[in-house]
Amino acid sequence: MNAESPESLIAVLRQAVIDGQAAAAASATERALAAGLPPRTLVDEALIPAMDEAGRLFECGEFFVPELLVAARALKASQALVTPLLAGSPTASAGRIAIGTVKGDMHDIGKNLVVALLQGGGFEVIDLGADVPPERFVAAVADDGADIVGLSALLTTTMLQMKSTVQALEQAGVRGAAKVIVGGAPVTQRFADEIGADGYADNAAAAVLLARRLMSRPA
Amino acid sequence: MTSRERVLTAMRRRQPDRPPFDLSFGFSTAQLETFRARTGAEDPYDYFEVDTRMVWPGPTRLATDFSGYLGPLPPGTVVDEWGLAHVPTSSAEGDHAHLVGYRHPMLHLESTAEAAAYPLPDLDASYRYEPVRAEIEDIHRRNLAAMAMLECTVFERAWYLRGMERLLLDFTDGNAFATTLLDRITERRIGQAQHYVRCGADVVAYGDDVGTQRGMLMSVRMWRTWLKPRLARTIAAAREVRRDVLVFYHSDGEVSAIIPDLIEIGVDILNPIQPECMDPVALKRAYGDRLSFWGTIGTQSTFPFGSQDDVRREVRSRIETVGAGGGLFLAPTHVIEPEVPFENIVAFVEAVKGEGR
Repeated sequence: MNAESPESLIAVLRQAVIDGQAAAAASATERALAAGLPPRTLVDEALIPAMDEAGRLFECGEFFVPELLVAARALKASQALVTPLLAGSPTASAGRIAIGTVKGDMHDIGKNLVVALLQGGGFEVIDLGADVPPERFVAAVADDGADIVGLSALLTTTMLQMKSTVQALEQAGVRGAAKVIVGGAPVTQRFADEIGADGYADNAAAAVLLARRLMSRPA
Repeated sequence: MTSRERVLTAMRRRQPDRPPFDLSFGFSTAQLETFRARTGAEDPYDYFEVDTRMVWPGPTRLATDFSGYLGPLPPGTVVDEWGLAHVPTSSAEGDHAHLVGYRHPMLHLESTAEAAAYPLPDLDASYRYEPVRAEIEDIHRRNLAAMAMLECTVFERAWYLRGMERLLLDFTDGNAFATTLLDRITERRIGQAQHYVRCGADVVAYGDDVGTQRGMLMSVRMWRTWLKPRLARTIAAAREVRRDVLVFYHSDGEVSAIIPDLIEIGVDILNPIQPECMDPVALKRAYGDRLSFWGTIGTQSTFPFGSQDDVRREVRSRIETVGAGGGLFLAPTHVIEPEVPFENIVAFVEAVKGEGR
């Protein structure tokens, strides 16, 4: 067995990220780069598939929040070596997403998982944090060119802020420039439809698939 | 039946005159203002004749300075006795627990020695239970059941201090920092539980949120490694003082996966059974001979978005199904948030009381 073939280095890196082994992921990354593998190949063939697989395992109940957190940590360990080498190369971003927990709501663990999987999935993520007022989302579309706006809420109280945020995008005349996706414990597809959102996902992995689907459609 | 008899009867899974009820963990700030304006009364628990009253330890005499752990804080921040900083948000709800931000004092600590040295509150000190004893005596004089609050028992308190993501990474790495922190919190909680039972509490209300809307936050295996043994110790400690004290356990979200384990370590009552993600009738069928159910009326669905008739229907349906043979305590599944129509609270209480036999 040739343990250091390009295919096996990619496989080792992918598995290290899925397993959340940060040191192993960094080491596999170093070996792959030393072997002359292009950084873009590591991203496309190891890192993105790894986080997709972690998301899939989360969706089917085999992974839980801690497993996603360590996978994201291992991803970062590899990205720290790969990303600087990508500078100047043509970007292959899957899309630009501005995401935040809506005004009045500080709950950000779910939102952070979505951010980790989106970043792992090749999206360019503008993480607006928690307690984000509607005007910040408007600015992310108008000034930063976000293709998608992601809104998170944990409470029925703050979930109603999603509606205000959609309205603020409309009033600012930028609603057509970005898709709006929503999620969080009390949020349902029905609620998403009621407030005129473009999509709803009931978990972090489904949010990535939803974002990809929306990006593949003409605006 | 008096309120206390009703609670004890129903939670020991015998048939009461009607199910006992409460209003969960209180009203949000705006909801309390609405209540006071509408009724002219001060206390919703007294006004609606709720069957239980909650007690907490008396104030601490410690004045620990956590500034070295927290650094500079925004104006309006409140630091509690654990050193957790409650940071105000843009919400008008003030310090309402669901709408405040946290600054975690142990987030940047690295060594196990630092976990061992962190100043924990004196929740096991006897002087803090003198007022509790008097309160419980008063509650019992009024024929109400006394519920002693041990919320955020171990896991939640630990992640409030450490930060949730950091603590879950500690668990995954299996590090001694988490062991030390959890063990120290558990020791305090054991003292607290035993004091409560000595003071005459009818129910000790444990709680650690380990569920999400879709299932466990962490794997059952991780929960069994890190949390179950410590929860078990705090329950066993209460039972050492009085065998028949009722053990209530709260976790938001969908936690079916650990129900058999909870029963095994002595939990009598599960709360809140969010109907949006757990089926109270199926749980009654599966565990109704060993477990009582407290809550079941949805604060993500019926309370904020249903009509008064929807509330009445949900109450009646629960009484017929989950309430059969006892084992049901009706309550909103959590704090009554600002957007709940006041009429729905009234409809809930009237429906519960109107069902007496």
